Amino acid sequence: LPAGLSQWFPALEVLDVSGTGLTEMGTELLSLPCLHTLLAKNNRLGGPGSLPKGLGQAPLARSLRVLNLSGNRFSEVPPALLQLRGLRSLSLGGNRLHSIPPDIQELHSLEFLYLGGNFITAIPPELAKLPSLTYLVLCDNKIQSIPPQLAQLHSLRSLSLHNNLLTYLPREILNLVHLDELSLRGNPLVVRFVRDLTYNPPSLQELAGRTIKTRNVPYAPSDLPESLVRYLSLASNCPNPKCGGVYFDSCVRQIKFVDFCGKYRLPLMHYLCSPECSSPYSSASQSSTSQSESDSEDEASVAAHRMQKVLLG
Amino acid sequence: MEQPVQTETWKARSLEELVRILHQIFAEDKVSVDEVQALMESYESNPEEWLQYAKFDQYRYTRNLVDNGNGKFNLMILCWGEGHGSSIHDHTDSHCFMKILQGNLKETLFEWPEKKGNGEMTKKSERVLRENQCAYINDSIGLHRVENISHTEPAVSLHLYSPPFNTCNTFDQRTGHKHKVTMTFYSQFGERTVCVSTDEVLLPRPGL
Repeated sequence: LPAGLSQWFPALEVLDVSGTGLTEMGTELLSLPCLHTLLAKNNRLGGPGSLPKGLGQAPLARSLRVLNLSGNRFSEVPPALLQLRGLRSLSLGGNRLHSIPPDIQELHSLEFLYLGGNFITAIPPELAKLPSLTYLVLCDNKIQSIPPQLAQLHSLRSLSLHNNLLTYLPREILNLVHLDELSLRGNPLVVRFVRDLTYNPPSLQELAGRTIKTRNVPYAPSDLPESLVRYLSLASNCPNPKCGGVYFDSCVRQIKFVDFCGKYRLPLMHYLCSPECSSPYSSASQSSTSQSESDSEDEASVAAHRMQKVLLG
Repeated sequence: MEQPVQTETWKARSLEELVRILHQIFAEDKVSVDEVQALMESYESNPEEWLQYAKFDQYRYTRNLVDNGNGKFNLMILCWGEGHGSSIHDHTDSHCFMKILQGNLKETLFEWPEKKGNGEMTKKSERVLRENQCAYINDSIGLHRVENISHTEPAVSLHLYSPPFNTCNTFDQRTGHKHKVTMTFYSQFGERTVCVSTDEVLLPRPGL
């Protein structure tokens, strides 16, 4: 960036330095008080000095709304970037990212996040802590699974997951009520029912933990070693509404197909506390016809109907 | 469309001229596919002439009507953000011409699925269309998916459909199952058109 930029153009709001071969953006950025849009795509940014030091304290940290760094050489999200608290739109498409830092949750105003065309293998659950996220692009990466926490992104309207390595999705994805667009093509989604036969019986520690939780046995930090107190806090609830049980490490992974009128079957995955437990989406062929089971069937079919619109659109 | 006796070689020097010549061609009883494709390709994309129709949407590609060809054809501009793509679709027995005005679009051709097909659809071929190139497809050629595979550049394309249609089938690549959909315009003649759901009633705005 040319020296003296902020002296000549102190009121600069939009700066487009795309396609200029930039290898770093220096301290000139720090003295631009009104900048809300910075476009620097198709450059050679990605090395250590790409973003200037002290970015978090500059006026830019509050004023910048849109940052486009697509088509550069970033192999990780630069920590300085996470200090841009006012950022609404971030694009790092077509870079060399292998992961998304959990601290991405610092960008709490983020609405638009484009990470397509990288080498990302996993999504941190912390991504779900972005309350305003409406558009999330993760296509053309190497993602093998979606954390169920992603269903907490209540504002999400569009989710792009095409061309990844997904074999199934977490069933919680059906909870995204505002989702209008969902792309899943180019993933090796399982098409046949998969029964996970490797169920490891629970350890004594797990059985004890389950009993404490389900019978509400009272305990205080002074009663147990710290490691066990932590262990007990990690209990997960069995999704079977009739079960009410919990599990720690020992669970059954089950893939259930949610059927969209025989045209599209989406493999959804959830954990159950034991092989005897039944899924919240039990098929009609199973024996029980109790109220709660048919309730969750209705819930599943309503969600499935809505998702059908999304998937076949 | 059948081959006429004489094929003209047109050169459209502007978008306006392209539309005018199209009206002329389609006024005849017989229209040549090659003639229309050559005409579309001859127009050198000039953003100043079509920027008013190029309205992008953050979430998906948009269809913006430019001219309704006196009922003989629809000419529209499609705007594709980074990563935006279409489903696999057919063309309801119509002719489809697609010219790139900006950026690049990848076209993947598919065979029609078997009648009682229940397997993965067969890819026939794929190619990346460059600026000013014009592709042609109809149902006898096959089905296609069109996508902007760039993560850094938006793309804009000019489409001509004859006869016009507003429904088509989309296909699930993994099973070949089809689903009829209705297409809408994001804008018409440069003006944004808001989609009203059939369940809602448009209330008059106060003060107007």
